[in-house]
Amino acid sequence: MLILNRLLSSGQSFISSTAKKWLRITLTVLVFSCLGNSGTANAWWFWTPGDTVDNVGFKPEQPIPFSHKIHAGDRKIPCEYCHSSARRSFSSGIPSGNTCMGCHKIIKTDSPHIKKITAAYDNNQPMEWVKVHDLPDFVRFAHKRHVQGKEQGGAGLACQECHGKVEEMDVVEQGAPLQMGWCIGCHKDRKAPLDCLTCHY
Amino acid sequence: MTTENSIDTTEPNRQTPITAIPGFTMTDRGPEIFGPVDGPLETPVKVIEKGHLYMSAEEVMPNIDSDHSRRDSASDFTVSAGAEALAKTAVDRRDFLRLFSAAAVASSAAACVRRPLEKAIPYVNQPVDQAVGVATHYASTCGECASGCGITVKTSSGLPIKIEGNAEHPLSQGSTCAVGQASLQGLFHPDRRTAPGFRNGDTISTYAWDDVYEVLGKQITGKKVAIFTNGSTGSRNDFFTDVLTKLGGSTSDLYTYESNSLYSSVSEAHKIVFGVECLPRPDMRVAQVIVGLGTDFLDVGTSPVFYAKNFANFHTMNSGNFGKFIQFESMMTQTGAKADERYVVPPSSEIVVALLLMKSLVEKNAGGHATAQAAKIVAANASIITGGYDLVGVTKEVFDHTAEQLLKSPSMVLAGNTGFDENATMLQVAAVLINDMIGAYGKTLYIDRGWMRSPVRSDDLPRFMTKAASYDVVFFIDTNPVFSLPASLGFVDLVKKIPLVVSMQSMPAEIDDLAHVILPINHSLESWGDEHPVAGFWSARQPVVRPVKDSRQAEDIFLWLLAIQKKSLPYADYHAYLLDKWKALMVLVDAKGVDYETFVKAVLRRGFAGKLETRPAPSMKEVSASFKVGESATRKGLRLIAPLDPRLGDGRGADKPILQEIGDGMTTIAWDSWVGLNPNTAAKMGFKRNDLLLVETAAGSLKVALYPSPGLHPDAVVINRGNGHAITSGVAQGGVGVNPLVLCGTSLDAEIKTPITAGFEVKLSRTGEIYHLAAMQKSHDIGNRTSIVKKYSLEEVKNLKRNRSLDDVPDLYPKLAADEVSQYKWGMSVDLTKCSGCGACMAACAVENNIPQAGREQILLGREMHWVRLDRYFAGDLDNPQVTFQPMMCQQCNHAPCEAVCPVIATSHDPEGLNAMTYNRCIGTRYCANACPYKVRRFNWWTHKWGVMGDRQQDRMPRALNPEVTVRTRGVMEKCTFCVQRIRQAKYTAKEQGRLVRDGDVMTACAQVCPSDAITFGNLKDPGSRVARERADARSYLALGGDPDKNEFGLKTLPNVSYMGIIAHREPLGTGEEGEGQHHPAEGGHPAAGEAAPAAHGG
Repeated sequence: MLILNRLLSSGQSFISSTAKKWLRITLTVLVFSCLGNSGTANAWWFWTPGDTVDNVGFKPEQPIPFSHKIHAGDRKIPCEYCHSSARRSFSSGIPSGNTCMGCHKIIKTDSPHIKKITAAYDNNQPMEWVKVHDLPDFVRFAHKRHVQGKEQGGAGLACQECHGKVEEMDVVEQGAPLQMGWCIGCHKDRKAPLDCLTCHY
Repeated sequence: MTTENSIDTTEPNRQTPITAIPGFTMTDRGPEIFGPVDGPLETPVKVIEKGHLYMSAEEVMPNIDSDHSRRDSASDFTVSAGAEALAKTAVDRRDFLRLFSAAAVASSAAACVRRPLEKAIPYVNQPVDQAVGVATHYASTCGECASGCGITVKTSSGLPIKIEGNAEHPLSQGSTCAVGQASLQGLFHPDRRTAPGFRNGDTISTYAWDDVYEVLGKQITGKKVAIFTNGSTGSRNDFFTDVLTKLGGSTSDLYTYESNSLYSSVSEAHKIVFGVECLPRPDMRVAQVIVGLGTDFLDVGTSPVFYAKNFANFHTMNSGNFGKFIQFESMMTQTGAKADERYVVPPSSEIVVALLLMKSLVEKNAGGHATAQAAKIVAANASIITGGYDLVGVTKEVFDHTAEQLLKSPSMVLAGNTGFDENATMLQVAAVLINDMIGAYGKTLYIDRGWMRSPVRSDDLPRFMTKAASYDVVFFIDTNPVFSLPASLGFVDLVKKIPLVVSMQSMPAEIDDLAHVILPINHSLESWGDEHPVAGFWSARQPVVRPVKDSRQAEDIFLWLLAIQKKSLPYADYHAYLLDKWKALMVLVDAKGVDYETFVKAVLRRGFAGKLETRPAPSMKEVSASFKVGESATRKGLRLIAPLDPRLGDGRGADKPILQEIGDGMTTIAWDSWVGLNPNTAAKMGFKRNDLLLVETAAGSLKVALYPSPGLHPDAVVINRGNGHAITSGVAQGGVGVNPLVLCGTSLDAEIKTPITAGFEVKLSRTGEIYHLAAMQKSHDIGNRTSIVKKYSLEEVKNLKRNRSLDDVPDLYPKLAADEVSQYKWGMSVDLTKCSGCGACMAACAVENNIPQAGREQILLGREMHWVRLDRYFAGDLDNPQVTFQPMMCQQCNHAPCEAVCPVIATSHDPEGLNAMTYNRCIGTRYCANACPYKVRRFNWWTHKWGVMGDRQQDRMPRALNPEVTVRTRGVMEKCTFCVQRIRQAKYTAKEQGRLVRDGDVMTACAQVCPSDAITFGNLKDPGSRVARERADARSYLALGGDPDKNEFGLKTLPNVSYMGIIAHREPLGTGEEGEGQHHPAEGGHPAAGEAAPAAHGG
């Protein structure tokens, strides 16, 4: 228990004081559950609704309820109209404020959500979106190699193959596990490179 | 912000020893977690066999090695280097529990909870030419020294991430030096001041910029103002003159100063002889012989990158003509290490060497206008010349032969280094005369067409010293003379008398402690500007990033101050001023058919513009009467030389961890000062390596540890300048090194009145303490495998043939299946003949690949993180060895010993020949590092933290990281990857364009930066690529790969990196030092210059 107390005394700096009591209890449970090779305690403490190990179904709340269904589905705006660097960069790009304002200067200006964007734009503030499809920092995923067509030596994939049917989603959620096995599976099927340096450097 | 430490010049400058943790002795500290405690950590288990190569003096003279039984300088127990370092770096038990518990909480959390949310934050207004993840390049001009090298800055999302030389720029030709590479660390330095401030006693109160303009503008109204700034060849000095004129002064109130006195001495010599102030522009491509009189043009000359590019063209087999470089010097400079013939002469005797050479030239009836003058000078200095041959220890035959070679072919003489003695300007005058005698002007050196311009006026410092007291206000801009001038000169007292001192610096500096107003100014990467390094050639500087801190461009501050006084110059900002100035450029280059705006855009896009100016060849003046040789040239006994450190300069590089960590090229000492002494002299005086010596001159004394340096003259005592800062913030805070300027007296050079830093009589004594210098050469020792370097004489190399391909090695490995074979096999070739050990590759690699700097203690434990290191090997006589520099990076072995031992397959082989390292897979067993025969794998012992600098570990500013490379954390092995991120980018681009990667599309950071073009990178499967041709060259060999022609295959690791053996172009002649000094058996090597042998072939 000496070690546990040490653990707790140092834990204070990491966890807010209100959680101290809970921490004390859960750490105790955690330590014993780890020793007992049981996952139940972990699940009890860290379980959150909708959570899964591979993040499929991850559906965070965004600063405004932007609907891909309306934009990409109903209005049929192509994905790359807003995510414009998907074809030329590693990153597909999140549309900048002026991309939104291009239409919403005129369209639906009375909506409170649009007003929020307009206010941010006028104050020269960016929107802070929550990243839904988030790869670990040690993975180098090049959007352009997957989106570019065969004539450019790319895979010519549709966005939906990895991101799911975004045009049908009011709130975007993660559609695929994005884990290494999932990547490798596709790379094997399509005879894409499999050596480590393709993604890890 | 406060800066209490005043500069105390009375207390001997002292190397701060590592202190043990108070209250603990080694035995009290309990079990050590990260290393063994009992016994020396680094006890060598191998016996060094004497081969023809050696890495340091103690391999040849074991009795000079550090004496561990001597008492340590700081603690009352005897420790080894390793244990001493652990005393500071080790984590005690309490820390361990804290760390352990934190790790436990973190890891259990990570295992069970989703990773933290990441935000995706777009631009508000997306710039048209920017996309996240696509780099933008800007052409600009490096601001780290006055050379004016063109650079291209790679920026990503608005932040500069890498600096490259501008490939089209005629000065940098695609390369930079290590200092240029490290300028990003200056930009993002955590110690940069955040706001302007006024001194209030000992404290500095910060103000808003508007208030500063208001208050300061009023304070300087009607006052006598001077500006003291660093050298620049651009419009900046004209601007300051305009400002001073508005303030009621004139151009004589502007003072420029550079610690590199070569600028002023060379330009003053040309003024004395030709009446024109300029530096000659060398063209070594046509030269066949270069004679150096103590020159160090590859490292700290007047334009090191340009000279290195030049030298690479001169000293190579590529053109079929291998030039010959003959050096006379007392120090062992890296330039001297590249010499084909090197003669060791006493300190300060270079002027005598010049006289002797002059005499030989006169006797051979050299041409030129100078011969008559030279004859007079030789006659007037007959007494020096008579004893000269004995003094310098070189025979008359050598001088006669050298003179003959100089006269026979296009040649030049380069003189002087930054260890500046009282005859330094006269030495330059002598060099000018000799160059005229051998017909160098107009053939290999240009002063009538596109001459190089000096960034300083040579008489500014002495003028300031006499007039400083008459000023009410002095602005010190980007210069730190309080540190870079000898204290004995009285500069500090002089500045203290000035009623208002304004310090404008991009980094905190010692001058701030004396300043009443401290204004942070922009880094050169945040500034507008230009340089005019060659007559008629302009190099433009544009900002590549918004100011990182709340700083302003120095010139803009003056515009504001003038505006407050209602004396405005008609410009909104300095950019507008430059646009006005550059109109002259449009006339100069005769741009027709474009409007000015388009012209400026084109210039900024390219980075430079111009048309070389010409003028009639200046006529020679009569100088023989004024030619005199000061008495220090013939002095005897130990003498001090304090040259500028090639990387730290006059101290302005000391705050950049990259530059400190590269270490010195000849000694590999990092993060420190040392005193270099000839090993034989040290042995005679009873000194050993790491002995803390008391160094005394008439002016002062300091304590500094000894490093026995092969190749020094027995009388030379060398301490590099650059370290020993006394400021209260910055890397230098950790008490890194000493400043040898305390040893330099008040004496000034007779012609240009610059403080001299060499030639002082010096006394050395042992303090009885030892201090461990962090010399890196032995950290990654490859044991006795000295076959790692191959050498050839010029004769040998001309007839060199290889019958068997390097890759033709008996092989039991399974062959790759056909569909696994790629069209690419990446390879590298390193030409050891070209490499001059400058360290630019190490700096470029660190910036490109996010490599942390480990700091001194970690280096003492052998834990530096360099992916490419510079080994240097000596051969032959300790007094005058031959030197080989060898960049050693991961050899990307095709039969890699590391791959077989990894238990988790974190390192594996790539179909393109790369030895892949998957960081996220690594569990840190370090088996691979043990297996690697080249010792190039690096283990992350720490997650390096930013903010704690000096003698502790280093970290990276997140904003200064390259987003294209993963940042490794503690517990992970890492190594050179051949800059795989660049390979992938090049392959992607090639695929998009439906072609293969072409030769030159992809270059590793080290290959791209190399000022000597020693490193070549490319696809070995393309037989036409440069690297494939170099690998097929008979001179190429594989490190530790034996000799395939003799059926010796060495380790059979089959690396993709090949080395080209070093060529020595020498015609051995006696040096007059025969039989003196300790000779090292040179079997397998070639006779050292010190060993007499008959001339093999006529000159």
